[in-house]
Amino acid sequence: MKHSRVSPLRLLFLLALVSSLASATHGQEADDGVVSSPPRPPSNLRAVDYPMDKGEKIDLTWDLSLDDPENVSTYLVYRSRTDKEIEKKIADDRKKFIDAVKTAATEGLFGEGWKDRMADLTQEQLTHVREVRSRAAERAETTFSSDPTSEDNVYKFLGTAMPGENEFVIDKLDGKKSYTFMVKAVGTDLSQSAGVVTEVGLTPVLQWFDGEWNTSGGRFWLSIIILVFCGAVVFWILRARSGKPIRVRKIAGLEAVDEAVGRATEMGRPILFVPGIQDMNDIQTIAAMTILSHISKTAAEYDAKIEVPTARSLVMTTARETVQASYLTAGKPDAYNQDLIYYVTDEQFGFVAYLSGMMVREKPAACFYMGAFYAESLILAETGNHVGAIQIAGTAMPAQLPFFVAACDYTLIGEEFFAASAYLSGSPEELGSLKGQDVGKIIVVFLMFIGITLFTLAALTSANPGLSSIFRNMGDFLKNVILT
Amino acid sequence: MNQIDPDQVQVILATDCGSTTTKAILIQKLEGVYRQTHRGEAPTTVEEPFADVTMGVINSVTEVEELSGRKLVDESGRIIQPASGDEGCDIYISTSSAGGGLQMMVAGVVAEMTAASAKRAALGAGAIVMDVISANDKRKPHEQINRIRELRPDMILVSGGTDGGNTTQVVQIAELIAPAKPQPRFGKEFTMPLIYAGNKDAAPLIEKVFDESIDLSIVPNLRPKMEMENLGPARDMIHDMFLEHVMAHAPGYDKLMGWTDAPIMPTPAAVGNILQRIAKDKKINVVGVDIGGATTDVFSVFDKTFNRTVSANLGMSYSISNVCAESGMENILRWVHFDMDERELRNRVKNKMIRPTTIPQSKEALIFEQAVAREALRLAYIQHKEFATTLKGVQQQRTVGDTFSQEAGGQTIVDNMKLNLLVASGGVLSHAPRMHQTALLLVDAFEPEGVTHLAKDSIFMMPHLGVLAEVHTKAAVEVFEKDCLIYLGTCVAAKGLGKPDKLCFTFTLRGDTLNESGEMNFGDIRLLPLGPEETATITCEPSRNFDLGAGPGKKIEQEVRGGTVGLILDARGRPLRLPVDRPACQKAIAKWVDAIGLYPEPEEALV
Repeated sequence: MKHSRVSPLRLLFLLALVSSLASATHGQEADDGVVSSPPRPPSNLRAVDYPMDKGEKIDLTWDLSLDDPENVSTYLVYRSRTDKEIEKKIADDRKKFIDAVKTAATEGLFGEGWKDRMADLTQEQLTHVREVRSRAAERAETTFSSDPTSEDNVYKFLGTAMPGENEFVIDKLDGKKSYTFMVKAVGTDLSQSAGVVTEVGLTPVLQWFDGEWNTSGGRFWLSIIILVFCGAVVFWILRARSGKPIRVRKIAGLEAVDEAVGRATEMGRPILFVPGIQDMNDIQTIAAMTILSHISKTAAEYDAKIEVPTARSLVMTTARETVQASYLTAGKPDAYNQDLIYYVTDEQFGFVAYLSGMMVREKPAACFYMGAFYAESLILAETGNHVGAIQIAGTAMPAQLPFFVAACDYTLIGEEFFAASAYLSGSPEELGSLKGQDVGKIIVVFLMFIGITLFTLAALTSANPGLSSIFRNMGDFLKNVILT
Repeated sequence: MNQIDPDQVQVILATDCGSTTTKAILIQKLEGVYRQTHRGEAPTTVEEPFADVTMGVINSVTEVEELSGRKLVDESGRIIQPASGDEGCDIYISTSSAGGGLQMMVAGVVAEMTAASAKRAALGAGAIVMDVISANDKRKPHEQINRIRELRPDMILVSGGTDGGNTTQVVQIAELIAPAKPQPRFGKEFTMPLIYAGNKDAAPLIEKVFDESIDLSIVPNLRPKMEMENLGPARDMIHDMFLEHVMAHAPGYDKLMGWTDAPIMPTPAAVGNILQRIAKDKKINVVGVDIGGATTDVFSVFDKTFNRTVSANLGMSYSISNVCAESGMENILRWVHFDMDERELRNRVKNKMIRPTTIPQSKEALIFEQAVAREALRLAYIQHKEFATTLKGVQQQRTVGDTFSQEAGGQTIVDNMKLNLLVASGGVLSHAPRMHQTALLLVDAFEPEGVTHLAKDSIFMMPHLGVLAEVHTKAAVEVFEKDCLIYLGTCVAAKGLGKPDKLCFTFTLRGDTLNESGEMNFGDIRLLPLGPEETATITCEPSRNFDLGAGPGKKIEQEVRGGTVGLILDARGRPLRLPVDRPACQKAIAKWVDAIGLYPEPEEALV
């Protein structure tokens, strides 16, 4: 492949061109013989902290240019850069300049599209390219200059305002920095007025409440939702405390606990409780412990034997404490046998193999599977079914629920599992809390229904763009503002 | 007892020895059909100064003798058997509830399982269950022993554990009873009968626990598996023990037992027996109720499963105060369609309690008494539904389709929609001035759904027929059909709730005497004339929210039977909800009272 060499004259020309680009400002004047007539600048620029925000917004207002609207096509809004930002900008500009010079030098050597031909170059040619680029970089380094106090470096362009508009909200500011602002008017011929600058710096202030209700990210709607949720919980707790009965739907799985323990008692066989295969940091294991407490208390009252094999040592310790407390509550502390609550192995299928063998040998009359389960769920439930046990399962693992439902007598599904504590204790506080959460869920379902309806209507009325956009905007408001 | 050839039987004499009266009935074969022909009644003589139950029996039979002109008692005071000409009877049978009937204590390991089965066995055998001892009854052992000491049951039934199952706690229960040394109610010199119907493996251990102060009988386990209940052997043993111990020690019963052709049965057992027989023969579901002064017995046969409950504190005289306390005066008064002074009512209740034989002397008193009866029956039926359940502790079979519809075990088997026949007995029902009142009492208290026949036991003959069914089923069934039951009519009631005055169902009736069609709005009740022995075909089409037996909104066509009251079309909805507001409630009740014609104004006397 033939490569052309760059002459020194051509290189000089390129360097001059890049240099002029580097020093150019966005406010370049019109040339090509067009006479510029910049509009008069806006005046009286004021910056105030944005009310009720999270400390990253400032409100800008100004008096319109006297040429507005005849000779104003837009307003340009800027904010001051912090020292670090200026340093960064200059560094970026320098890098861009050097890259441009290196590219120009290489193109001078190999022409456009040189990158595609790199693979075909010989080692000698590659060395030459590196030398040329290195020399170009050195030259650009010495040539580059940028004034940190120049307007271009000090001010950062933020956005535009239309003629007749005299306000602008600046966001994403750092609440620890002070900022000044500048606004320029742009004429119809794109000439720019001089900038009007705020006299003193302003720091956005973090407010106690971010109460924006009509923009995304505000906390107004969140606060309303929290108030309704918490209000419902508090209301139902107070109602429950006042003695008014709270009706909670019967959960067959929990109602059947006494039945299962009774069966074990009558048949003189043990009760098996498996608290899942996860550790104590799993919420399902914690919920399982709550249920274990109730079951072991019932077992203590009935004088039945309860066995709790675990796959985690911490779960074993917690289960021991739980069962011991239950036996104490039932008034039978002497009947508690800690050896029946033991650790087997962390290995998932080692644990399952042990349990299956144990179930076949001892034939428990009642099996409880409460907690987080994975592939072992069906193995356990089928083995339990085979030995003729009443089985009650509870898990929040959606993938395992069908197996438990099919193979067990009763299954606590997701929420029911977590509601078990309130259900079993019957305490007004817990029941009230449960009821309050239900109110929250009803609200969520209601909002989902509204959202689906709005977007469906928007789609159905697409023939009428005006109406459709109303529904779409309402839906967007619900989705992006209220629920975000 | 004599060998009886059923085909040769022409005359049957039956007595029922109650606590206060002994009732005798005579059944004769007339034109090839058994009919109840005469009835006599005399005070029971089991207590001092007579202390011989046969005296009351002979007195009541003598009354029958006088009425029928047939000689039934010979000069030596014995019932003449067999029949010949105008003398004697072929079969003599008797039931007894004298002295409070059979009173039992039962025990089991778990209250809802073996103890509940033991209770079912005892109740089914006609006993009153005084207490249930179980391992989980929340009482401390010393409290349980104390309770066993306090009770003076006629016998004890102990169960617990499946075969091959629990032995420890079964033996523990026996060890509570043994030191308590319970004393029998009658005859202190006799030993307490105790039936053991638990885990067979524990039987040898149980034998070791009791000494000679207890007469121990061991029968097969009444719960051999958790999935199975075997009450028959325990019930039979209870009957045997009832005769051997309880009856043998009651004054005069040893003599009476020698006269009868079938073992004397406890009265409630006999009632249950005839209801089961009828349910089996006709393939129907039956509920029977006997409301007395102190207790209310409810019997049911659903899908061949018999259940009986005794609501010991729900009655119309001795227990009337308890009915008021349990139900609340406001619940009783909601059945009264005019204002009543509550203070006066309370006085009336207490008077009834201390003077149990008084009967209402005014219309207001009658209406109030029937309001109390509605609540007593309603509460007794609720208790019955709670007791008559499927077995608890049984493994369930599920599919993924059951994800959101998992029902717990131990659900009630009483389903009003499946109910075919509702039979009433007991003073307040049998002796109501108008049969219409009896019919609406039953409908209001039991809330039958779909198509249900209503009947009442004319002269409380069911006990006699229950024993008779043991020796001569044909006679018992024929008499039950023709003379025992007075058919009040049929109730057609829609299940579901709706808005007042909105359509509940439409109906079309086609029959020999009744051809009518119309609409029933929610909240309406209507009585159509359909006399005894008359039938008609009713076609009903319920609206979407209502069910008449075929499912919500689905049409039914069924034959209905008339009676002394007629055909009741009930669109008040199920469950029956009365307005909470008192004036609105009064208005609703007044409307229903008028619709059925419960309390018509007496016609002015012609001068």
